[in-house]
Amino acid sequence: MMPTSAQLRFRTILFWLVPALMLAVPMVVNPYVLFIINGILIFVLITLGFNFVIGNLGQLAFANTAFFGIGAYSSAIATTSLGLPWIATIPLAGLAGALGGFLASAAALRGIRLYYLAIITLAFGELMRWIYVHAKSITGGTDGLSMPRETLLGFSLTDDRVKFYIFLVLTVVLVKATLNLLRSHIGRSIMAVRENEVATASLGIPTSRIIVIAFMWSGFVVGCAGSLFALHTAYVFPESFGMLQLIVSFAMVIVGGLGSVLGSILGAVVLTALPEYLRSFPGMEELFFGLIVIAVLLLLPQGLASLLRRLSPIFIERYYRE
Amino acid sequence: MPDILMTIRDLHVAYGKKPILRGAGFDLYKGECLTLLGANGSGKSTSLNAICGFVQPASGSVSLGDQELAGLAPHRIFQHGVAQVSQKRDLFPDLTVTDNLRLGAMRRGAKQAARTLDQVYARFPRLAERRRQATRTLSGGEQQMVAIGRALMSQPTLLLLDEPSGGLSPEFCEEIALLMDGLKADGVTMLMVEQNLKLAFRAADRFIVLRDGLVVDGGDVKAMEGDHDAIIKNIYL
Repeated sequence: MMPTSAQLRFRTILFWLVPALMLAVPMVVNPYVLFIINGILIFVLITLGFNFVIGNLGQLAFANTAFFGIGAYSSAIATTSLGLPWIATIPLAGLAGALGGFLASAAALRGIRLYYLAIITLAFGELMRWIYVHAKSITGGTDGLSMPRETLLGFSLTDDRVKFYIFLVLTVVLVKATLNLLRSHIGRSIMAVRENEVATASLGIPTSRIIVIAFMWSGFVVGCAGSLFALHTAYVFPESFGMLQLIVSFAMVIVGGLGSVLGSILGAVVLTALPEYLRSFPGMEELFFGLIVIAVLLLLPQGLASLLRRLSPIFIERYYRE
Repeated sequence: MPDILMTIRDLHVAYGKKPILRGAGFDLYKGECLTLLGANGSGKSTSLNAICGFVQPASGSVSLGDQELAGLAPHRIFQHGVAQVSQKRDLFPDLTVTDNLRLGAMRRGAKQAARTLDQVYARFPRLAERRRQATRTLSGGEQQMVAIGRALMSQPTLLLLDEPSGGLSPEFCEEIALLMDGLKADGVTMLMVEQNLKLAFRAADRFIVLRDGLVVDGGDVKAMEGDHDAIIKNIYL
């Protein structure tokens, strides 16, 4: 069942209402919860960018952590070495991530697919980590880089409330931009490539260009997330961009829903919040976490987003015209 | 003599080190239906794939009017008006019939696409009845209609058909033949690869026989006056 036009209008209202209500969050939660929510917003962007390549484009590419690290280091280096204000480094981090996406897409353009693409892109992530460790004069090596304390329009950027508002605005902008991109001619081409690359090429769509665009957008979004992460933790070091980070973000995509923007948000929210909630069960956190993830995937193989789709057609994501 | 639409000369294509086309060449006239015949491995489908850019020729020329197509990317060749209906049909199974058809006109304006969609539905009333159905739920013949309809959505100058009767019942083969009659009447030029010789001779104006990547025979279908034994011998013996 497809949403009616009234339901679509309600969906638009809901899209803006949720972040509008979230503006009150810093006033109603304690600093610890606010810190966690800031982390969730970062993970929403990481998952959104990752899902764009593996879910929407359908390429098993694991360069996500590389984009994240590139973004975080770009921001950290630009603030510490070049003296740029952090806020100005966000687009820089996004562009650096997009450049990473361009490099990662080279493998896909050479026709490398599936597990082979997964291994090559994993190697790209590890290569970047090697650079973070060994380019000591720029990256600080294993010691990493500390972000300078800054203010923005008189507000301290070490204040989690200030961070929250910046993170929220950027997350909403990038989620909206991703939705718009998916609904555009390019987005439909991206999904056509996922469904059948040969057929897409035979319909006059430049599939190589489409693959590059998708990787670059993914890199841009995750690069921006890296910039937020640098401010959030105030410290950037290589271990933050390893395999564990990749597995966590992969789990978020799968649990939320492959190829779903809503799924990216839900996956990031649930899998970031859940471990925090499970701290109330000392010694059992990993067990409960594992069981919950398995249960979600067994009961909802298309992820949490599919549950909402069953509840109401307003959550159906359809990026082409009816 | 009708005008020449496409000229193919000395086309060489290899898969790795294995040569498939070894200098094939032929002309295609405006508004005709030309069928490529030949045994398995003779280079029929490879010829179509080389024309539409899915395989890159090692050498040779594919000219559409003044435009050289050899070496261009598939999407560029499509923009020059060459659309292919592949053997596998290459549909998007979870999309509806309408969405699959619209994809064929993705590079055209919405108004033009809507007009062509109406024309395609007029040509395929059976698809119009199933316009909201996912294509995976259609029969093989209906899926073939969607594949042909999607190619027609781009209003091609040249339609390439790779085994349009593949896997279809005799009734559907006749429907495909009738459809091709209609396309010919509308002036659509077609180049077809077909193993079903009955359909090939029923629908085509001319034929060409490929063997080991070379054109070894060819002629006018009507001139054969139903005596196809010589061609069959030429293809298989």
